[in-house]
Amino acid sequence: MTRNVKISIKNLYKIFGPTPDIALEHARQGMHKADMLEQHNHVLGLRDINVDIHEAEITVIMGLSGSGKSTLIRHLNRLIDPTAGEVQVDGEDIMNYTEEQLRQLRRERMSMVFQKFALLPHKTVLENAGMAKNIRGYTIEDFEGDARKWLARVGLEGNEDQYPHQLSGGMQQRVGIARALVSDAQIMLMDEAFSALDPLIRSDMQDLLLALQEELKKTIVFITHDLDEALKLADHLVILKEGEVIQQGDPQQILLNPGDPYIEDFISDINRARVLRVRSMMSKPDPEETEYAGDISEKDNLEDVLRKSGGDMTLNFRVMRGGDHVGTLHMKDLALALVPTPASADRSAA
Amino acid sequence: MATYDSLFETLGLKEWCSEGASSGPMSMADLLNKTSGKSEQPTSLWDTPFPSMDALNESCAAFPQSRELTKGLEQGFLAIKDSLSLVLDPLTQPLSWALDGALYAMLNTPWWIVIPVLLAVVFLVTKSWKLVAFVGGSIVLLAFIDHYDYAMQTLAIIMVCAFLCVLLGVPIGIAMARSNTLQRMIIPILDMLQTLPPFVYLIPLIFLFSVTESKLYGIAIILYAIVPVIRLTNLGIRLVDKDVIEAADAFGMTPRQKLYKVQIPLALPNIMAGVNQTIMMSLAMVVIASLVSAPGLGVLVLRGIRNLELGVGLVSGLGIVILAVILDRVTKTSLARINVSQKQ
Repeated sequence: MTRNVKISIKNLYKIFGPTPDIALEHARQGMHKADMLEQHNHVLGLRDINVDIHEAEITVIMGLSGSGKSTLIRHLNRLIDPTAGEVQVDGEDIMNYTEEQLRQLRRERMSMVFQKFALLPHKTVLENAGMAKNIRGYTIEDFEGDARKWLARVGLEGNEDQYPHQLSGGMQQRVGIARALVSDAQIMLMDEAFSALDPLIRSDMQDLLLALQEELKKTIVFITHDLDEALKLADHLVILKEGEVIQQGDPQQILLNPGDPYIEDFISDINRARVLRVRSMMSKPDPEETEYAGDISEKDNLEDVLRKSGGDMTLNFRVMRGGDHVGTLHMKDLALALVPTPASADRSAA
Repeated sequence: MATYDSLFETLGLKEWCSEGASSGPMSMADLLNKTSGKSEQPTSLWDTPFPSMDALNESCAAFPQSRELTKGLEQGFLAIKDSLSLVLDPLTQPLSWALDGALYAMLNTPWWIVIPVLLAVVFLVTKSWKLVAFVGGSIVLLAFIDHYDYAMQTLAIIMVCAFLCVLLGVPIGIAMARSNTLQRMIIPILDMLQTLPPFVYLIPLIFLFSVTESKLYGIAIILYAIVPVIRLTNLGIRLVDKDVIEAADAFGMTPRQKLYKVQIPLALPNIMAGVNQTIMMSLAMVVIASLVSAPGLGVLVLRGIRNLELGVGLVSGLGIVILAVILDRVTKTSLARINVSQKQ
């Protein structure tokens, strides 16, 4: 599969304050966020962000509050303008867009799902779902079919004529997702879309999103502060801290090779067996090896394998992708991978 | 010899002062002193007057007295009055036509048409039979005690003025919500309009327009009653959920779409609360405006006060209360209907 770059963020800086241009020079010279606030009274929002977002993938941007992740996603459709840097969508720098081009981009090529749903309270669910089409000048007759289809797809059949306040939080967010889908935009920006939901519903919504993605192959940029959510959804994971990207790449790789003490702290107390997958554990297929306890898929997580092995750590499994034999998994490696990376020194000391 | 003589002496202004000595009209205090034959006594420190304009004038005749301030204001106003009314007269003429037309229509349509039409309007905006019955009962009561014409005149004036308040006030409020500079400029004006005693701004209006013109009281009512609708429109639009505005931007709404599809609908409960206040304030002002020939129940109240006709005053006062209750209930109920449809 070729991985087309859909959105490319290059050398992006964002500084909040009265004279961001002057502060930008300091930021370029590497001044720290805290110093910048103290000495120049400017807030360093984002520093030198370089991220490529690939087509038909879910790119998750993860960070704690204040790390600049919501600021970053708002640069992708220019709800916030950067202090310096480029954002390219389909190879075009959207910083050079006129107001009309930008509006076109927001209407037809990008849709957005919000943490607080941001539905129109005076419109029905159906009208809310069709909002993007309505903005483009279509009447309700034009988009009703589409809107009903997507509402049904997200599980809201029969709620079309209700008002948002009559729905629960999870259902309101389903309307939010349907609204993004009805717009037919290839890019979906999701700003902490599931953070306001309770854990069970959140898990449902994640499954829904994955199922939709399987079918639609949209380019999704997903913001979250929840590592489990990030690992569950991400094809590409970007970790932000204080406005800087500290590591990005395949989530499995980040988990196995954390590049920063900050990330080690993060991943030290997650359930590794559920998150790690066979494909990042397996070794090259060994022609000598003939004794297999069974076949497993490369997409299985380690929990599945453990269950299959019945706890026997001496077994080997044959790893399959489709119908091909792509590798071997030794249960010994699996057991070792389950030992968490120790939390960084300063946190254990504390 | 006055208290501040030495001041002017040290400043070397003695000459200028004596030049200005004129034979202006004597103040009452001077006159009294003269007639009682007393000359000015040197005052003790305890009695030192504040160096006000009048006190300084005593020491230096060239210094203006404070009555010249009010006189100056008056002359200034009179000087620009003609050119001002040249501009304002044609601008406000439609108001006169609207008021006269509404009064004429209200009084010349037979009661058996007006009352059902009013009740139909009440039902249309409130969808409440209870309220229709209450309004019907109240109007019939007023008509039965022969106050129908007065009440309808008052109602006609309120309807015209409140309508114009909304027509002008909502756009002003929207403009204020969009620009902080404009808000900073308009808020002091609104504060002034709201706190100035209503009688006070009748005075310049009387100079500008003839008392026989209905726009005189129309303008007074509008100036007084427009404040809440402006304030609450501004507030309502500023209070619209930032997240919804952001969503509107993210989906590419033009500013116009945002205004009509998001901001105004979401601000509507606040705007309607402003309309309710505006109607109530027009009712308050229409009574005061009877001083400048506004017809209606206010005229009867004024007669009650002038001639000490207790009964007339009380009954017409009660009529105003009934009108107030009707207007308040009707607007509040329609406001509640809007609120229900937009609960977040």
